Amino acid sequence: MIKPIYVHGSGSISIQPTFEPGYCFDSILSFAQNPVPAYEPDYKALIPAMQLRRMNKSMRMAIFASRLALQQADRTAVDAIITGSGLGCLKDSERFVEALLAEEGQSLNPTPFIQSTHNMAAAAIALVLKCKGYNMTYVNNANSFESALLDGMVYLTEHPNDTMLLGGVDEAGERTTQFWDIAGYLKREVPTIPTPLEGAATPGEIAAEGATFFVVSGQPGARTYGKVTAVETSLETDDTVVLLSRFLQKNGLDADAIDAVFMGFNGDSRYDGIYRNLGHSLFPATLQLGFKHLLGEYDTVVASALAIALQLLNEQRIPSSLRLNDVEPKELKRILIYTQRRGKNHGLILVEQ
Amino acid sequence: MKEPIPIAITGMGAISAIGNDVANHYSSLRSSNPGIGPITQVQTHHRGNLLVGEISMDNGALYDCLAIPAHEAYTRSTLLALVAVREALVNAGIDPADGYRTGLISATTVGGMDATETYYEDYLVSKSHQHFIPTHPSGYSTEQLARHIGVTEFVTTISTACSSAANAIMLGARMIKAGLLDRAIVGGTDCLSKFTINGFNALMIYTDSYCRPFDEHRNGLNLGEAAAYLVLESPELVKQRTQTPIAYLTGYGNANDAFHQTASSDDGEGAYLAMKQALKVANLDAADVDYINAHGTATPNNDLAEGQALLRIYGSVEAVPAFSSTKAFTGHTLAAAGAIEAVISILALQHQVVFPNLNFSQPITTLGIVPQTQLLPKKIDHVLSNSFGFGGNCSTLLFSNAHD
Amino acid sequence: MSELTQELKAKIITQLNLEDLAIEDLADDTPLFGDGLGLDSIDALELIVMLDKSYGIKLADPKEGRKVFETIQTMADFIEASRK
Repeated sequence: MIKPIYVHGSGSISIQPTFEPGYCFDSILSFAQNPVPAYEPDYKALIPAMQLRRMNKSMRMAIFASRLALQQADRTAVDAIITGSGLGCLKDSERFVEALLAEEGQSLNPTPFIQSTHNMAAAAIALVLKCKGYNMTYVNNANSFESALLDGMVYLTEHPNDTMLLGGVDEAGERTTQFWDIAGYLKREVPTIPTPLEGAATPGEIAAEGATFFVVSGQPGARTYGKVTAVETSLETDDTVVLLSRFLQKNGLDADAIDAVFMGFNGDSRYDGIYRNLGHSLFPATLQLGFKHLLGEYDTVVASALAIALQLLNEQRIPSSLRLNDVEPKELKRILIYTQRRGKNHGLILVEQ
Repeated sequence: MKEPIPIAITGMGAISAIGNDVANHYSSLRSSNPGIGPITQVQTHHRGNLLVGEISMDNGALYDCLAIPAHEAYTRSTLLALVAVREALVNAGIDPADGYRTGLISATTVGGMDATETYYEDYLVSKSHQHFIPTHPSGYSTEQLARHIGVTEFVTTISTACSSAANAIMLGARMIKAGLLDRAIVGGTDCLSKFTINGFNALMIYTDSYCRPFDEHRNGLNLGEAAAYLVLESPELVKQRTQTPIAYLTGYGNANDAFHQTASSDDGEGAYLAMKQALKVANLDAADVDYINAHGTATPNNDLAEGQALLRIYGSVEAVPAFSSTKAFTGHTLAAAGAIEAVISILALQHQVVFPNLNFSQPITTLGIVPQTQLLPKKIDHVLSNSFGFGGNCSTLLFSNAHD
Repeated sequence: MSELTQELKAKIITQLNLEDLAIEDLADDTPLFGDGLGLDSIDALELIVMLDKSYGIKLADPKEGRKVFETIQTMADFIEASRK
């Protein structure tokens, strides 16, 4: 069976200033737009200009977040790299489609084509770190990061002495956002961050972007600040309560053993009921936390929830901006993360101190 | 050394330019009948000057053959995948909903890009094709596939450019070994698209003729389209089902060249490391390999780097076993390449024959290695298959004979 | 001739996103690849596109580019020669 993996560092870029040292959702940036672009760092601080010049947003965000994670873990190299990205390097994909529609038959610049490839972020990290080891990219919609995480657990069970970078990255694209709007995925009336939940929720999502990476290994170390003990995904389910109960049971736990549960409330009135039912049925007396109302929605946003969960386990405090109820846990030792997107791609991650 | 756990392969299915099922692949390979020809389906400026490995059935024919209602949105990669997956399930004699923990791991790079590039402007102004909008993400195709065949346990999608399918096959084996699945349906699919044809053309690695893998005068690849899937099962499950495997997946490896975004390193470091690892996992020596199905895209860079890596593994030109690239048959099918070549590798094991490397006349001067150019019957116990992709992603699979 | 080299420098800086470089930083004889500016095979393809779009010169074989793109000066010479 697979073993827990230990997290030694994390780095995150999102629409909030999550890359700033010590940031923990005490101050929240507000937005009234859709999509919301990432709050970006000065990439030059950690990425040389000659490398940066040919990096699209996904690659920049992924490398910067990886650098932060490595700094925190006090490491300069890893043995393997696994990423998840629901939609890959969207802007370059759009750029190449637009170029070929406008001028097919003339000379086309190949760079957007190369950089439209989904594995470019993982490849860019390998290139800058000169990491010749295992390199994998999962592109499975809103379960892309969970797939990466599961592979990470399998890999570290096979290679117990290795260390790897593992993360998720997604960027927004202009035309793609128009398409999602046509498809009815996005909010149309006053989209705001923080997004109103519960009674104030409206149909649709707020599209956002970001990258979150972790340094993980199969062994605890001096910098370890938490472990992931289980991860599971389900494309579709008839009953999320059964799905979660089974997951807890498989891991030898009951609902009381969970000190806090992160749920993916994003203010989409069509699907937030899934979380509400679950909260009522399984976790009425458990601290419930949200994150998508502050970070928006994208396929790999759940990686941020893992980063926040680890931060809370370490700091043993709960920023009020994340709270969905007033329950005060006796202690924070074990956090469950549950998300879905548009009623499918259910993901479960169990995080422990 | 611990005995490696052999993962049983109990079924396979394939569709490419050389056949709509596995049997047709075998007859085309056996009779040196390649599938490369002019572009007749993709609406592109390059019709008439670039050659491709096109599957003759158009989308309408695929909808009909799969009995999919015309109003539902399926992109070509998904349609091709359905054809191949169905064949694999029949071949293995399984129903994924039979209660065993069955996963689906599919690879694609094109995803729904063929619809997106076709309706890019149309979506904004007309409702007629807007139901195709959700098909864009690569994961969408896998999810449609999962619903069709009734996989509920574990579903994921891999996209690592041209090594994608090899990586999907590898993940299936690893998850079975880790005890997470009893069975995995693994493979990849990519249809031809304007996007990829123009992309490789812009990279100036698309030949103006027929590709010539491992030839001194090779000048680029032909793209192709394909889907292929394998059914992998745990040794315990195979025993329970009293199913005879068609072959075993004994080794796999993935490494990164960490050299350049697109180009392979001169010494083929990533390829070398991937092959080394696969041999190690299978607990085999390089000399145990009887046939190598090379990546051999016929680009100047790939074949040189791959050849160099082979020489590093084997030490001398003479020690390199019979090898061929079958890309001159199918074209380079991108995310499906690793799966279609897995099927070809298994056919080589089943029929004890090495398939030829077409269009070869003169060895690469600096390497001196000569691929197998004629059909060669020989004893084959182990076949090594390479797949390399952009971003330095290098993967190797090792297939071994069922009767051990 | 120097007008052309200046123009080429500006175009290269924009096309290849060398935003940290100024025209003055680029000498006519700075090697563009390898130990000089450190450009790679993808840059070479972008330069081939630039030659076509800006000067109407088509290179069919990327290997030809190696010699043409050695320095700003060799590029300018090549463009001049093609114009004659």
